[in-house]
Amino acid sequence: MRGDQLAEKHVVVIGGGPAGLTAGYELAKFDLRPVVLEKEGLVGGLARTETYKGFHFDMGGHRFFTKVEEVNKMWQQVLGGEFLRRPRLSRIFYNGKFFFYPLKPLNALLGLGFFQAVLIVLSFMWWQVFPYRREDTFEQWVTNRFGRRLFLTFFKTYTEKVWGISCSELKAEWAAQRIKDLSLKTALRSMFIKPKNTIKTLIEEFDYPRRGPGMMWNAVKSEIEQRHGVVRLNSGVVRINRTDKHIDSVVVQHDGVEEVIPGTDFISSMPVTQLIKALDPPAPATVLSAAGRLTYRDFLTVVLIINKPHIFDDNWVYIHDPGVNVGRIQNFKNWSPDMVPDPSQTSLGLEYFCTEGDKVWTMADADLIEMGRREIDRIGLARYEDVVDGCVVRVEKAYPVYDSEYREYLGVVREFIDGLENCQTIGRNGLHRYNNQDHAMVTGMLAVRNLVLGEHHDLWSVNTDQEYHEEIREPARVTEHDLEEVLEGALSQVFLKLDRVAMGISLGLNAGVLLFLATLMLVLKGGESGAHVGPTLGLLSQYFPGYTVTAAGSVLGLLYGFVSGFVVGWCFAFIRNAAVFLYMAFVHRRAELQALRRLLEYF
Amino acid sequence: MADEKQALERMVLTRALRLNATVQGIVTGLVAGLGVFIATNWLVLKGGERVGPHLSLLGQYFIGYRVSFLGSLLGFFYAFVIGYVVGYMVGRVYNWAVDRRDHKRLGHA
Repeated sequence: MRGDQLAEKHVVVIGGGPAGLTAGYELAKFDLRPVVLEKEGLVGGLARTETYKGFHFDMGGHRFFTKVEEVNKMWQQVLGGEFLRRPRLSRIFYNGKFFFYPLKPLNALLGLGFFQAVLIVLSFMWWQVFPYRREDTFEQWVTNRFGRRLFLTFFKTYTEKVWGISCSELKAEWAAQRIKDLSLKTALRSMFIKPKNTIKTLIEEFDYPRRGPGMMWNAVKSEIEQRHGVVRLNSGVVRINRTDKHIDSVVVQHDGVEEVIPGTDFISSMPVTQLIKALDPPAPATVLSAAGRLTYRDFLTVVLIINKPHIFDDNWVYIHDPGVNVGRIQNFKNWSPDMVPDPSQTSLGLEYFCTEGDKVWTMADADLIEMGRREIDRIGLARYEDVVDGCVVRVEKAYPVYDSEYREYLGVVREFIDGLENCQTIGRNGLHRYNNQDHAMVTGMLAVRNLVLGEHHDLWSVNTDQEYHEEIREPARVTEHDLEEVLEGALSQVFLKLDRVAMGISLGLNAGVLLFLATLMLVLKGGESGAHVGPTLGLLSQYFPGYTVTAAGSVLGLLYGFVSGFVVGWCFAFIRNAAVFLYMAFVHRRAELQALRRLLEYF
Repeated sequence: MADEKQALERMVLTRALRLNATVQGIVTGLVAGLGVFIATNWLVLKGGERVGPHLSLLGQYFIGYRVSFLGSLLGFFYAFVIGYVVGYMVGRVYNWAVDRRDHKRLGHA
């Protein structure tokens, strides 16, 4: 795009979260002076940092860990010196004990006790032999793979807390979707291609801004403003004016006053459902209806300030105890010591998954703090009387719900949005997709490239698979990726089964011909007059009745050789295939466990 | 992408492995050759009144072979050739049989 064309652009970015601010930052680098609209009083969206009496709280916990080079580059450019490298530890807290996930045998044995561990193994074996015939629900899906007892211990409670419905009502498709990338190809890859060391290191430790992720987004806001862009807080979009497929302006409400903000191009990270509802004139009824059926899961954090310098080592723990409502607990001090103003105190964030308007969501803050105090005492992580203060932060639309019908409805919405000439949606809620912070940022970056450079990135497919990583990598990385593809193709050939009959025929024919020739050769060579020909080879008659080292015996040897060679070849192929199958099943199951770990970390 | 993954799974579950006859031949040849070489030299190093009376029977097939160091080199050569031929033929016959069976199966499908 030429300079004069760029100068005519007035880009409005809706949403001041990671996606929107990244888009604003990239636009500012092109001297486009964007207007970023944020409805809250602080930037960062779902990755904001709230504060209370000098304590800083990260909503949900945001590790600064990415495989996308450009995202990492931006983080370092904006906040380089303010990052801390932190160790990562997150375990399951169940029945008063910490468990690693995936389970480590010794840790599980010590935590669960020998008797319980044996029952889990027996249950696993039972469900391997007698699985549910149908896998309609999440409960059936997990039970078939890990056994009922393990399901009840480590999957049921937490999943139900997160989704608010019984695992027997949750569709199996949900789990299947979450691990859809877990193909045979992935399993084969995991067997032979180890993750790069850098990635492994980053999983075990991660970067974190000294005072939480909000620090990053405040710095990005400043960068935008230094380049003459505008970031407007407390400016929620209430209406979007359009002429057919062209967005003309947005109407924001600030301190109860409405203001029209015109623009030539719009990038929106506001929830796609709200965007559709805000259109004026309204979107078609089918689109409105589809948008109305897309749902979200929300959560609230009850922050408890505790008069103890140390509570536990983890950055966060998953609470699987069915007797309490809390789903996950963040230990902000373990993310960064600077998150607390007084080192003799600790702040914990008790996260309650709920739905806007439900019983938990509407509870008074004081009641929520009281519930948090009781629950932290009950599970034994801190004593009731050690909690000296607290506050509550509610996070709306934290997780787009992937129910069994969301694809269909999102497809309708997407088709309509794609039809708008000058509007792109980005970010987790703009795309109704579980994009983490870095993926959300990528959508912001790519949207700006589409707008300014005329590129054609499909923002909806970011994070659907690994390929997008390659899009913005250096060319050398693409070559490496290609090599992996070739290697995977070759590896998959190794795991093809041997044809048992063909192997039998092959070994049989060769053994038969070999014995035939060996016998005939000795017969033709002959021996001294009257001497017995081939006494050693003749010993084969012990196994092959009637076999002799004679011309007739060579024909019988051909037959015997074929039969025994066939049996050996057939058995070899059978055992080899069985061994490969068992090995593949083992690898696949192990990879499923890894995938379920990722599933746990979505929240 | 999903189609590609499914196709890969289908392929692994239904298709039969093909052997590379040349590789198979070389591997079998090397194993057989080294087997004879080591077996011969083992007996040579052990020594004794009469060295390797049974192994020397290979001389019936490997003309010139004896249980000695030079014989072990000759034995390696012979065994490699025989092993190569056998391995190669196992690969070729196996692939031929698989093709025939595939052809038959697909023809009836």
